[in-house]
Parts: sequence; structure tokens; C-alpha cells
Amino acid sequence: MDFKAKFEKLMQKEFVSLDGAMGTMLQARGLKMGETPEVLNIENPEMLVQIHKEYIEAGADIIYANTFGANRYKLEHCDYTVNQLIKAGIENAKKACEGTDTLVALDIGPIGQLLEPTGTLTFEQAYDIYKEQIIAGSEADVIVFETMTDLYELKSAVLAAKENSNKPIICTMTFEENMRTFTGCGVDSMALTLEGLGVDAIGLNCSLGPAELYPIVEKLSKWTNLPIVLKPNAGLPDPVTNEYNVTPKEFAKLMQKTIPLGVKIFGGCCGTTPEFIKETNAMLKGEKYQPLNNIIPSACCSASKTVVINRPRIIGERINPTGKKRFKEALLANDIDYILNQAIEQIHGGADILDVNVGLPGIDEGDMMCRAVKALQGVVDVPLQLDSTIPAVLEQALRVYNGKPIVNSVNGEEKSLQAVLPLVKKYGAAVVGLCLDENGIPKTAEGRFEIAKKILDRATSIGIKKENIFIDCLCLTVSAEQDAAIETLKAIHKVKTELGLKTVLGVSNISFGLPERVIVTHNFLTMALANGLDLPIINPNVADMTGSVRAYNVLVGHDKNSIEYVNAYGNKKSENPAEKSENIDLAYALENGLKAEGAKLTEQLLETTEPMNIINNILIPALDKCGAEFESGKIFLPQLILTAGVAQGCFEVIKNHFAKTGEKSVSKGKIIVATVKGDIHDIGKNIVKVLLENYGYDVIDLGKDVDYQSVVDCAIENNVHLVGLSALMTTTLVSMEKTIQLLHKNNVDCKIMVGGAVLTPEYAEQIGADYYAKDAKESCDIAKEVFEKFYPAN
Amino acid sequence: MQVNLNNINRDEAFRYMGHKGGEIPQSIISIADECEQKLLENISPKYIYKIFDITPSQEGIIVENTPLVFKGRDIAEHLQGCEKCVLMCATLSSGADRVIRQYEASGMEKAVVADCLASSAIEQVCNIAEAEIQKAIGDYNYTWRFSAGYGDFPLEIQKDFLTVLDAQRRIGLNITDSLILIPRKSVTAVMGVSKNEIAKGKRGCGCCNMREICNFRKRGTHCGF
Repeated sequence: MDFKAKFEKLMQKEFVSLDGAMGTMLQARGLKMGETPEVLNIENPEMLVQIHKEYIEAGADIIYANTFGANRYKLEHCDYTVNQLIKAGIENAKKACEGTDTLVALDIGPIGQLLEPTGTLTFEQAYDIYKEQIIAGSEADVIVFETMTDLYELKSAVLAAKENSNKPIICTMTFEENMRTFTGCGVDSMALTLEGLGVDAIGLNCSLGPAELYPIVEKLSKWTNLPIVLKPNAGLPDPVTNEYNVTPKEFAKLMQKTIPLGVKIFGGCCGTTPEFIKETNAMLKGEKYQPLNNIIPSACCSASKTVVINRPRIIGERINPTGKKRFKEALLANDIDYILNQAIEQIHGGADILDVNVGLPGIDEGDMMCRAVKALQGVVDVPLQLDSTIPAVLEQALRVYNGKPIVNSVNGEEKSLQAVLPLVKKYGAAVVGLCLDENGIPKTAEGRFEIAKKILDRATSIGIKKENIFIDCLCLTVSAEQDAAIETLKAIHKVKTELGLKTVLGVSNISFGLPERVIVTHNFLTMALANGLDLPIINPNVADMTGSVRAYNVLVGHDKNSIEYVNAYGNKKSENPAEKSENIDLAYALENGLKAEGAKLTEQLLETTEPMNIINNILIPALDKCGAEFESGKIFLPQLILTAGVAQGCFEVIKNHFAKTGEKSVSKGKIIVATVKGDIHDIGKNIVKVLLENYGYDVIDLGKDVDYQSVVDCAIENNVHLVGLSALMTTTLVSMEKTIQLLHKNNVDCKIMVGGAVLTPEYAEQIGADYYAKDAKESCDIAKEVFEKFYPAN
Repeated sequence: MQVNLNNINRDEAFRYMGHKGGEIPQSIISIADECEQKLLENISPKYIYKIFDITPSQEGIIVENTPLVFKGRDIAEHLQGCEKCVLMCATLSSGADRVIRQYEASGMEKAVVADCLASSAIEQVCNIAEAEIQKAIGDYNYTWRFSAGYGDFPLEIQKDFLTVLDAQRRIGLNITDSLILIPRKSVTAVMGVSKNEIAKGKRGCGCCNMREICNFRKRGTHCGF
């Protein structure tokens, strides 16, 4: 059956009516709180058919089958399977529809477990759970995802639907009055992401009444041209009686107000009944649908932040190992924290978007890309530009990205166009088009313009919208080809004015081989901006570069009243007391928590002092002193960690020094740290990690919610002799015990130390741990003992 | 219900950080300033509650019209003499988790301070919620807030507890299979309600089953229970 055609036919109607609440109707018929409503699909089908019929009589064109919570996770302790309950739910709905044109929707709600990084469910697990529901619901006409609060979870659901069915998809999310969902997703991000993924209608349901949802619909109506769905609650519930405060007539009246906002599909959520649907349909008679005709701006987004490219926006280029020894080392060591730090530094520097490239021979780029993207989007909110030369890596990253990313890049080569553009279309991304092809980079602006035009034509021919194509006219080294700089600028101007496309450019190359590179680079940047560059790819940590963009935004009037400029530079003096650093030494910086000064002083010291002398004569004694003061109660935890943080900065400088000189840093031994399976409290474990690293240990951080087997595998693979396990809940201590048992069973040659709020020394001994660490300081003492006493060779 | 917090109780937060008195250095005060500001900008504290009739039985305390039966000696003692109970839950929202996660990546000292400030903030939210709930329900007598995990009141109850309150849909509060509440800075609690005067239950370490493993006690401090 052609589901899409059936749906399109329905959409020809002026308005489309959905049903009202199912839960409200079931509760009125005796469903108790805490019972699984989907069980009734099998145990009381007549009741469900009856409820559906009432909604059909009230005028519903689409009814939602009673399948909202029928997923593997929620039915874990249920006597019926997902397949049974969904099939029965749809059958009941179909039965009610007999003799009518009403369509049946497979109704799917949130899984009930939060995804990483807030929760523990992975994106891939979520996809599998939804896939099972989609397949079970093969008899439905439409797929509805509703009451969604996590855009990431919704994306996994939409992909599962797209890849396992050919049905139309309706998505509605649940917003609070602050215009965000519980997980922080914004209306703009929702619209950009879902329209990109190719769903058929989007909108809002639940949480609030039609009056409270009005401003949210209003915002949505500016960000999409899809038909808008509105399925509000019957107002707000009384906290004591739990009754909703809007009558069916009032409801219809409030719904009427949203017609000018482009709402086409109307229904009701909690507290609504057939009466509400009837009144709403009566109101809709004689009204006219007002389709939206928005010009959607060029933009990319994360779930919580949208960056509109209506003025120059900085793309940070630093997450890229090319030419950076320290970055390569970090990649080889799986050091995701290093990447996170690079991200945070660039955002503080002024980056609006971050380019992510982790391509390095000898690593699994796809795997590393996914892990980097997942880690980054858990910590920073700026959108990402996914950068790889390998289409398969791009696809892996596109799948797990939460929002609408930029793909870097496609070029004019046939092979590239065929491999990359379909991915951009499928995942709803924006794309950087490089002006080069089989013949290399054209010398002239005209040549590059022709390639830009070719990319534009090919992209739009498969449905990629013009606003999502950003052209990179490519920058060559001016010391090698002096005429090329002007050609690049001309090409930017031509692409911008004649094709109307946004432009992007990595500018750092321009000055290669020249002294004082930043002078040339930042002047070239200014010229490019004046010629129409929208997305400079730069190192935002270089003040002159970011400064050029900020100044440009003031000079052309983007930065109204120079507010952003003043915010960035107005308070500069008080922010950086580093000038005083002449009067202080490293020990003072450590003791007083002065991070920037610590790093700077270490750099200065390295000019005259052996790195190992700095470590052994300054850093370690300062840490020892601090540790002793912590033990004696003279200082408390944040002070200890602050000093450790300064020391960490100093070590980073020393590591950079080693990477540059090729010297090997001396490791005192490898230690695994992990928060055990099921537990996600990792703050304690992270404190331990910082302190251990300070004392010169190589710490392999397996993160939180770590499988037993992963600990064993990692210990064996890396020949690790000390494993630190953390658990914070009485419920997860059992995972700690199991991990220890598995380590013992596999005869892993290691000592095990454990820690966490609910542990005691006695319990630690009982579950087979070798050491109990009462705090992070003590874990350092234990490490010292283990490596000196048992593994002196390390 | 939305709660507006204008500040966070720092004394409490510093106590969670293990501060035992004495002057707090300016470096830590500045970090606390920044973290408090960032938290207040990013959290969206909320709570919900419902009130139920309760009936004591052999099995435990039956919460009428729900699948809940409260098991354990301590909750029975807590609700002694009450005809009703309020089930409430509160959360700072996932914004708090995000702030702490960001600090964990950029500087652990801030993560620790933000974590403790957030713990302090959720207590404040619960205090405000408790007062508002009592005002809304009216002229009854109330016990203090008793949470799963106190004494021998099992953590396992929280799953059904959240379902009964529809907490996921209404305030975005979830629970993992290991019984960890997410967003992390969240609380569930039971308050006894009675027309009659309620004997003030004894509070303190003596009646707490966590007393042997309590970190506050290990440090010689007190959680305030």
C-alpha cells in the first residue's frame, strides 16, 4: 500500500483532525495509576474499539492506536511482547475505523530511559528499541512520535522509521513555557533537524494548554514550512484535584487563534475527550488553512543552540591533528578529554561552530569520530562541522550527531558528489562545497565559480536546499602563488553575489612560509570578509583573528551598538592578572590556584630547567604539601583540586614540550579508573584521575557505566597493574563486586582499589578489593605503594 | 510547579564540600560565584506532588489507588498516625547536569563546587515545595520529608513512585535501572498528613540505617537529617 499517497490525499483537506487523550479515557474507565495501558489492547479490546469510535464520531481523521509505551524497556516485566501489544493495538484501531476513511497511527512515545550523556542508553540502543516497534506496527498508516523531549532520542526514532518503513512520519515534542523541552531542546533546533530528516509534519503536544502553547507555536511557525500539528492538554491540571481547567468550547476557541500560525493538524492531549475534538472540528468548519511561506535562513544547530549564518560566524579549526604532535598523541591514546579541552578553549576564544577532524593513520577514524562527536555534544552546545575525507566516516558522524551539522566537505569531483551529497540529503545537514575537481584547483576565480555552480546544481537536483550549501573558494599560500589570493577573493565575491550562496574559507594557509604569519592572515581575513565571506575557519584562540571578525561585525553594523565587542574587550584588564607573574613563582601559583600563571611560569622554566627537575622539585613537592594540608584538614576539597588543576596545566605544558622535542615522558605506571556498570556518578572518579595524573601516572579513564568485561579487556590489553573502581550507590556495589570477580577469574595481574560514598573498608575487603581509598588523596598513596612494592619495574 | 531560586545556600554547599569552618580563600569564593551564577542561569527547578489516603497493613503501608506499598520499619514509624500522605518529587532539571558536565571537562575544581552547590539548591527547592504544598493542601499536620533510601525504606520504590506521579512526562524526571534519578539533582519524598497532631519523630544518625557508611559521619559532620 502506498502510505504516502494515502496521507497526501488526507492532507488535501483544509484541516486534519487527530483524536484526543487516550490515557484520560482509560482512567475514566478504571485504569489505575501505574498499570500498563497497552495490556488492555489484548485484555479488553472492546473498550479500546469503543474509545476509538467515539473519537471517529467526533471527527478524527487520524486516530492514535494505544501503543504509546509499548516498547521493550517499558514492557520488561509485562506478560506480553512488544509485537503482541502493538499488533493488537493497531487491530483495535483498524476495527474502529471500518467503513470510514480514518487513518490509524502507530503511536510511539519516549522509551522511558534517557539517552547518553544525561542517561545511560546509547543512541544505537534507542534505535533498536524503536525499530522493533516500527516493524511490529507495519499495519498502521502513519507513524507518530509524540511527547518527545529529547531531540536525540527523536532522531534515533525517525531514522528507525525511515529505514524500516515507508510510512509518513509526524513528530510532536513537548515544550515548557520557557520554549525549551526538559532536555533543553529549542524550537528552532527541533524544526531545523526534523525538517532536514524529512518528516511530514511537526508540532507540539502535551505539557500545557492551547493558550500557553501559543507563543511556542508562533516561534515554530517562523522556522518551518511543514504543516504544523497542535495537540495540547485541556489547559493546566489542578495540583490537588488533578482536573484540567479548560472546557471543550474554550479549547476550540483557543485553538482557533493558532490558525494564522499555519496549524493544519489539530488534536488534544491529556484531559481532552471526544467533546473537545467535536468542538474543535465545529470551529474549523468555515476556517481556511494558512500555509506557511517562510524563507528559512542558512543555519546549523545543536539540540540547544542554533547558529544563523546571517553574518560572519567563526568556525574553530583546532580539533584537527594535522601538523600537531600533541593532538596526534592524544588521539593515539584515546584521550577524548584533550579534544574536549580544545573545544572549550575555542569557544572561550569566540568560536560559533567547531570543525571536528580526527583523521589519523593507525586509528579507526569512524569510531573515533563517533566518540568525539558524542563526547563533544554532551559538553558543548555549539554546532559541529563534521570533517573527514572518508564518506563512511561522515555517515557515522551524521548518524550520531544531535542537531543539524555542517558536512566538510564535498567537491566537484564526480566521485565525491555521488558519495557525499546523498548523505547530506538523508541526514538533513548543510555542506561545504570545495571549488576543486578532477583537474585540481582552478587558477582563476571563474574556474572556481564554475565548480561552485556545478556543486549547487547537483545538490539542488537531489533536494538539498540552496541555503544549506556553503562554498569554499579555497585559499592558497601567497608566498608560493602571489596572484592566487586575489583570485580567491574574486571567487568569493562572485559566488556570493551571483549564486547567492554562503561562503566558507580556511584562511590560515595564506601566510604559510612567511614571518609574522598572523599579520598576513588576519589582513587577508578582513579582505575576505569584505568580499562576502560568511564562515571563516580560523584558530579562534589567536586574538587578532577573532578580533578581525568582531571588528568587522561592528564596522558593518551587525553588532548593534557594539555590544558584543564591548563585552569581549571592555573588561579586559581585570580579567588577566598574569602581568603580575613576574613577582610570583610556580610554587605560589600552585598554592593559590593560578592556572594561567602556572602554565606560563612552567613555559619560562623550561627554557632553563630540565622538565624532570620541574616535576620532581616543584610540582610534586607542592602537591605533597597540598595533600598533607588536606589530610590535616587545613584546606578542603576544592582547594586540593584547584591546586591539582594548576599542576595539570603545568604538566600539559611539559607534555607539549616532550611532543615537540621528541623526548619520552616518564610514566610511573598505568592505572585504569572506571565508574562501574549501572552507575553514572563519575565526579569522584574524575577527581581521582586528576590527582593520579599529577603524580605522573598514565591514567586510562574508561568513563562511567563501564561493562565488567571492558575493564578486564583493557587491563589485559594495556598490561595495567592497578585498577581503580568507583561506585556511589548501594545498588551498583554489586557491579563493583562482579567486576572484581571477573578480573580475578581472568587472572589479571593487577591490584584493585575501590572507593565511593557507600563503601567501607570492610565491604571493600569482602568483595575482594586489595585497597579501599577513602578519598582521592589516599588513592595516590595507594598507587605509590602498589608500584613501589609490587611492580617496581614499571 | 516552577520554583524560582535567586541564590543558592553556600554555607550548606561548602559543608558538602567538607569544609569544617575557618576562612574560605578568595580563589574558592570566586569559583563559587561563577558556578552559582551559571547554575542559576541554567536550571529550571520544578516539583510535582499528589496526595493519597494510606492504610497500614501486614505487608506495609498501602497507598490507596496506586500499586504502591511502602515497606520497612522506618517509613511505617514515620507515617504513624497519618491518614494521608503526600508524594512529591522535585528536580533542578537537566540544566544542572549539563553545567556540571561542562565543568568536569574544563576544570574539576569547578565541577566539585557546582556539584555541591546544586545539591544545596535542590534542598532549597524541596523546602520551598514543602511549604507551598502545605499551604495548598491546607490546615493539616505534616511530618518532615522522608525519602527512599532513608533507614530501611527501599530505593526500589522509586520506580513506581515516579510512575504514579507521572514524573517523566510532567517534570522530566527519570530513573535508571540502577535506581539513579535523572536529572541527577532530583529528590523524591513522602510526607505524612494528619488531622491530628503528629508526634515529632526522632531524627538524627541514631535512627538512620546509613549511619555505618555515611560519608558525613566519616568526616565527623552531619547531613542535617
